[in-house]
Amino acid sequence: MGLPDASGDLSLEMEVDAFRRLFPLRFYERHLAESIRPDGRPLGSARETSIAPGAVASADGSALAKIGSTTMLAAIKMEVMTPTIELPDEGCIAVDFHMPPICSPIVRPGRPSEAVPVVSTTLSDSISSSGMINLKELSLVSGKAAWMAYLDIYCLDADGAPFDAALLSAVAACSHLQIPAVSLNDDGKIVVVSEEDGGKLDKEHVNREKRKLTLRSIPFSLTCILHKNYILADPTAQEESIMETVVTVVLDSSSHLISLYKPGRAVLASTSAVQDCIALTRQRVRELLKILDEANSSMEVDKV
Amino acid sequence: MEYVSPEGLRLDGRRPMEMRQIRAEIGAVAKADGSAVFEMGNTKVIAAVYGPREVQHRSQQMSDQALVRCEYSMANFSTGDRMRKPKGDRRSTEISLVIRQTMEACILTHLMPRSQIDIFVQVLQADGGTRSACINAATLALADAGIPLRDLVTSCSAGYLNSTPLLDLNYVEDSAGGPDVTVGFLPKLDKVTLLQVQNLLNCVILGRFSALVVGKMDSKLPIDTFENVMQLAIEGCKAIANYIREILLENTKQLEYRRGL
Repeated sequence: MGLPDASGDLSLEMEVDAFRRLFPLRFYERHLAESIRPDGRPLGSARETSIAPGAVASADGSALAKIGSTTMLAAIKMEVMTPTIELPDEGCIAVDFHMPPICSPIVRPGRPSEAVPVVSTTLSDSISSSGMINLKELSLVSGKAAWMAYLDIYCLDADGAPFDAALLSAVAACSHLQIPAVSLNDDGKIVVVSEEDGGKLDKEHVNREKRKLTLRSIPFSLTCILHKNYILADPTAQEESIMETVVTVVLDSSSHLISLYKPGRAVLASTSAVQDCIALTRQRVRELLKILDEANSSMEVDKV
Repeated sequence: MEYVSPEGLRLDGRRPMEMRQIRAEIGAVAKADGSAVFEMGNTKVIAAVYGPREVQHRSQQMSDQALVRCEYSMANFSTGDRMRKPKGDRRSTEISLVIRQTMEACILTHLMPRSQIDIFVQVLQADGGTRSACINAATLALADAGIPLRDLVTSCSAGYLNSTPLLDLNYVEDSAGGPDVTVGFLPKLDKVTLLQVQNLLNCVILGRFSALVVGKMDSKLPIDTFENVMQLAIEGCKAIANYIREILLENTKQLEYRRGL
């Protein structure tokens, strides 16, 4: 019983850093009572976000997304494959998420982090269920050839909310993607057309210039932490380790709910808490749409 | 195939003794104790250092020095064709070992007994010279982490094609089948710590170097030509060392400025 009082007294004499290390939860609660967080953000505010499309020159589409310190690099490589018999007019996307040991002191080489398969599957699900990419656009010759897009996302710095940054980088890479111009050669194989080739061109597939995908409803997400009555948007790694209950909401650009993910933990979410999370996400979607548009238009300007 | 045109220009327009453009950045990974991004032309590599910290496997702990661990991995999209197995293949394991032994030689491990220093290197874009870029990035990351070093380690590669020694080979030149010499150099001490020669099918080395490779003996590479190539690589290392020193100096000035000194 003496403990809470002891920490209370100590907090007056102790240095801020020591208090933060020894009693992290009380440190945060002191801030939350004033509706602010240690880095100065209001509770519902996300960290500074930026997108840099075209980060990897050798890939067909790529983007680097940063939310605060969390950094994700996504790149898409296209390969030609034979489509399945059931869906001869559709291509395929394979999403893969990696957390190499550089990103965090907790990740050990040879032993992938527990977060990796979770983020990988939820990312894959969100992208396919949002219907962002029309797989028919990835078809080349019906029944014979279609594009297989390998989307690889690498976490370069893990500082909380990896899913949000990963989804954002994936979406930005898709909007940056330029499908290579190809043609059908004599053997019935698809070859990539280089700029100098003037040779035999199949009218149907050659693109005068490389074409981009038309993205329909783009998914965006926001991860929130639930702690007592507070909802903290976009947690840092430290916040995630102290207050563990996380909720991730994925909405598309027209604010339809794509997915909601709350993997257990101590705090139970009431209906109003869930609705508040969705409202915060809706606001975040507007911010992210603007950031994505700005990033894409600055790329266009560079090309011209 | 012609790698050096009659006017003396290489495939990408460089002169034989010209290096690609280098760019380095310190502190790319916020969570790491030290980190750096190093670019040599189109080759882009990110290195992160964690340590000195507690040893993960108690059995490996050494009571008189620090344990150095290194892992090299390539991103799936880093090479022209997508890689199926970015880690654990022979090449990655070999390069991890090479980087570890090179860095271990210059870290003052006896100052940090019973601890572990992890060096992780991730290749984001590969266009030849990944080994060298990794060593340069690791040096910067170690310096950023404040780990005591004997000297900086810089690395550069050189080759010999169309009877011309070439500095800093890119991927096309590297896969041409000529010899490829990678040098790891300590600038202040003026010593070579790493010397790797590959594709020696057309060369025979005798004399001082005990490496002898048996292969096609159609053409021999005279020892002095090999020494020229190695010397060229060392010059490249010295140039990189100057650049790295500038970057570190700039970084220190920034830190001083931020602390109001």
